[in-house]
Amino acid sequence: MADKVLTTMHEKDMQKVTVAQKITKVIVMFLLYAFLCTMALIIVFPFYWMIISSLKSTVEYRLPIPTLFPREILWGNYLEAFTAANLGRLFLNTVIVGLVSTILSLVITVLSAFAFARLEFKGKNALFAALLATMMIPGELFTITNYVTVTKFGWLDSYTVLIVPFLVSVFYIYLLRQNFLQIPNELYLAAKVDGTSDLKYLWKVMIPLSLPNLISITILKMMGAWNSYVWPRLVTSTDDYRLITNGLRDAFTDMSGQANIPVQMAAVTVVSIPLFLVFIFLRKYIMKGVSRSGIKG
Amino acid sequence: MKRSIISLLLVLSMLLGTVAFASCVEGQGGGLGGNDAANKVTYEVPAEGYDGSEVTITFYHSMGAKLQTVLNNYIPEFNKLYPNITVEHASQGDYDGVRDQIKTALTAGNQPNIAYCYPDHVALYNVAKAVVPLDSFIESTIPVKDAAGNETVLGFTADQIADFIPGYYAEGTAFDAAGTMYTLPMSKSTEALYYNKTFFEKHGLKVPTTWEEMGKLCEQIKAIDPDCIPLGYDSEANWFITMCEQYGSEYTSLDKNGHFKFDNETNRGFVTMFREWHQNGWVTTEEIYGSYTSGLFTATEGQKCYMVIGSTGGASYQQPPQVDGQHLFETDMATPPQIDPSKPKVISQGPSLCIFKDSNPQEVVASWLFVKFLTTNVEFQAAFSMASGYAPVIKSVQSNPVYQQWLDAANGFTNLTAMSVKLALSQSNAYFVSPAFNGSSAARDQVGILMQSALVYKGNDVDAKIKKLFEDAIYECEYAAH
Amino acid sequence: MKNFLQKIKFDQWKAWIYLSPAIVLLLIFTVWPIFNTLRMAFWNGYGLFKELGGELQFEFGIKNFKWVVGYGGFLDCLKNTMLLTVLTVPLSTILALVIAVSLNAIKPFQRFLQTIFFLPYVTNSIAIGMVFEAMFNIVGFGTSNPSYGIINNILGVFGVDPINWINAGSGYWANIAVLVIYIVWNALPFKILILLGGLQSVNKQYYDAAKIDSTPRLRVFTKITVPLLSPMIAYVVITGFIGGFKEYSSIVGIFGDDMHAVGGESLNTMVGYIYKQLGENHEGDASAAALILFAIIFVVTMINMYVSKKKTHY
Repeated sequence: MADKVLTTMHEKDMQKVTVAQKITKVIVMFLLYAFLCTMALIIVFPFYWMIISSLKSTVEYRLPIPTLFPREILWGNYLEAFTAANLGRLFLNTVIVGLVSTILSLVITVLSAFAFARLEFKGKNALFAALLATMMIPGELFTITNYVTVTKFGWLDSYTVLIVPFLVSVFYIYLLRQNFLQIPNELYLAAKVDGTSDLKYLWKVMIPLSLPNLISITILKMMGAWNSYVWPRLVTSTDDYRLITNGLRDAFTDMSGQANIPVQMAAVTVVSIPLFLVFIFLRKYIMKGVSRSGIKG
Repeated sequence: MKRSIISLLLVLSMLLGTVAFASCVEGQGGGLGGNDAANKVTYEVPAEGYDGSEVTITFYHSMGAKLQTVLNNYIPEFNKLYPNITVEHASQGDYDGVRDQIKTALTAGNQPNIAYCYPDHVALYNVAKAVVPLDSFIESTIPVKDAAGNETVLGFTADQIADFIPGYYAEGTAFDAAGTMYTLPMSKSTEALYYNKTFFEKHGLKVPTTWEEMGKLCEQIKAIDPDCIPLGYDSEANWFITMCEQYGSEYTSLDKNGHFKFDNETNRGFVTMFREWHQNGWVTTEEIYGSYTSGLFTATEGQKCYMVIGSTGGASYQQPPQVDGQHLFETDMATPPQIDPSKPKVISQGPSLCIFKDSNPQEVVASWLFVKFLTTNVEFQAAFSMASGYAPVIKSVQSNPVYQQWLDAANGFTNLTAMSVKLALSQSNAYFVSPAFNGSSAARDQVGILMQSALVYKGNDVDAKIKKLFEDAIYECEYAAH
Repeated sequence: MKNFLQKIKFDQWKAWIYLSPAIVLLLIFTVWPIFNTLRMAFWNGYGLFKELGGELQFEFGIKNFKWVVGYGGFLDCLKNTMLLTVLTVPLSTILALVIAVSLNAIKPFQRFLQTIFFLPYVTNSIAIGMVFEAMFNIVGFGTSNPSYGIINNILGVFGVDPINWINAGSGYWANIAVLVIYIVWNALPFKILILLGGLQSVNKQYYDAAKIDSTPRLRVFTKITVPLLSPMIAYVVITGFIGGFKEYSSIVGIFGDDMHAVGGESLNTMVGYIYKQLGENHEGDASAAALILFAIIFVVTMINMYVSKKKTHY
């Protein structure tokens, strides 16, 4: 909505500007597109690599000079990927774990970020700094202790063990707190005067206004489930609860530990497709921006 | 500044707050059954042997989907003999994955019953005294009756022990001076010399059996094709360790007061020699070349190599490329060059199996029965070898008709895998064992780095540089084993 | 006044209720492991398996810290960690900011380009690791017939001689340059995502005002966009520093477990050291190193927070 208003205004302005300004604008636009296209090329390269690798033969993949386009396109890799591993179940697990942990994590993150951004309480800053401090210790050391803890809880081989230990991310609380701080406090105070409850205010004002960031968190959280490998392997012993990367990494290796990378990439590509569609859908929400009516008052 | 102090205090108080929580979780750690038997290297086999009770045993490995299929086919065979033993198994990625998994699992007493292992890993688990020494099982004469009604003994018969390829079997005793047996071999690979037979025949070259011949041959080949690198050696660490063994010079020892003995005159000598070879353009390694040396061996254009010393596990990658349906050359294989060809030494690699202690002795006995099944069952060993391209660990597999047929299909164009297994079986008197102790993996890493760095050194003061590299490697090893 | 005090009191318990799920989970899965880290760090010569094997009696002391600092390569680890952080964080932040703002400013192809920038999120991490080596690698460097990776081929178009980036005999700064590019590249998608999200939350009124005044673009960027986005920028910088100090996997991804080019200088980092000690059954040393690293990150973050407090506009 806001975009439209902006463009119409913009067009009106354009009539007044001089030729010199027009030329600068064209040059700026050209540079902008050139820059964006270059960066896009660089960023998208691994994705391209994934696709072409999935169509190569193992021999071609191992060539000293990698080819930028497969000499011979091997669709058979996809067939092999489908038959080799039990990817269906793993994919379902990933979706379940991804969705549940994203939803629960969003609730926890929103509540905590709200407390840090809007409520006044004793020790707030110190507590917040302490939370940040927990991010600063390399987490590699936590794995063993957490493993012992979840074993004590009897959580091994369950969805719980894949979801609960990672529900809280100080990283996201911090992100959302920053976002909440951007929203003028006056709105909150006005809502207080109107007698609006906190939760209603959160739901009606804060959440819509920070939707882009909430979507970002959703994407990152889903990607966490998509890429997690070590922890699921550690706490589950069968495919009943393992996640997709476990299957992708392990199913295609031979005895000496070398993966059949083309087939592996074919499998990766196949399971990427649904994910890609979801992201395209979510992208709309990040980019659409948010109705500003709440703030403009 | 004040805030940071407050927050530090807060972190500390949160930490103290968890002490209460700590105290209830702290009571763990007693997961390993045999803690009290600290110094014994024997394991008390239950007097009744396997009592037929229902047990579930778990097996951690790093098999891909294809090999798991083979395993799944043979578990029912095992269950025909022992229907009450349920076998569960899971892949943990690769060998290091299995190690890391078990390392963590041990802390909570969740270790599997059986695992794929390398000697270095077992040395690590041994620090926690978690691995079952197998001698008492091997020697056990307790009778066992299987579901088919056959009466056998729990341990190995003399014939069964004699059936193992000696070098593979001996790997299980690499852990202490007393020679306690901790592992049984499962499936093995070795290093082989792959060479371009067509090229060799065309130029009347002879396959080298000694390093001296190899040196001359490299010079000869370089004269024929100045653009080539005659020899590629895949693993620098294997190279160094094998040379120590061939020279009879020291590498590592089980002596607790000085594990790392590889800084000696002989070893500096061969490193200096091979550096010259590399500088002459005679030899390269995977790390130095920047890609698989098999890529150089099978190159259709540009630079080539005509010999590769690499794992038999990667044999299929040394197959000649095809252009328009025609193979460009024929590959053949031989035992890698030696210092003394009458006493050949070749490294062996590939997984062994170890059994972990458990509070339920019946699980340990059941695990032993399964390990015994996997290592001595001819059909399984044959099927696993054919699927993996690794060599079986018992000799009698070769008389299995299906397996024989598979071996006979070996050729230097399209079936190098079978050829490599044939070679691995034929050099079975050449395998050696390096001592395994807590820190032995560091030695392996460090000699690999040493070899690489020495080979690529371009400066003038070669002796000083090599001396320094050896010293650095020893320092890193000692630090790793402190 | 009384009303105000009541509100504060009400806020107190309300805040703790909102925070309780987070705090409970953090106590169990973060703070308790930290406590355990402390225990291992101050237990002289601690090794997990040694404890399990029953060989170890508790002995309080700072011996582990001495071992860490006494390690011959310790200064290298510290230097590499610092260098990579200081180089990559500003670079990736500025690039991400420019890309996010540009993406926001264009009209035609906007959707298409945005979609492209989302692709890294569906690229599995296995693929990403493999690409980079292929890009910078030189196969057979120093031999008569080397073949160059994509980067050197591109440089060749501009008449630049091939550079030995990562292969045998490559120099320290070439190695660092590759790492910087790799780390920045790896960090970009995330930062772009966060900054784009932040941009969308910025009140557009300011821009409309600027439009009417026909303020030059650069001025709009420095005077409006950056200040309004400053909370998000602060976030990206601070978390970037924290992540940068923990750099490890990128180095292993390119140079392998040895963490140096063949015959080259060490590229090991603090977390690389920690991993190595964990692998060698020296959990005590690993914990001590983690605490040393924590102290460094803590100080740097405090400085960051102090600076951003002054520069951030809420």
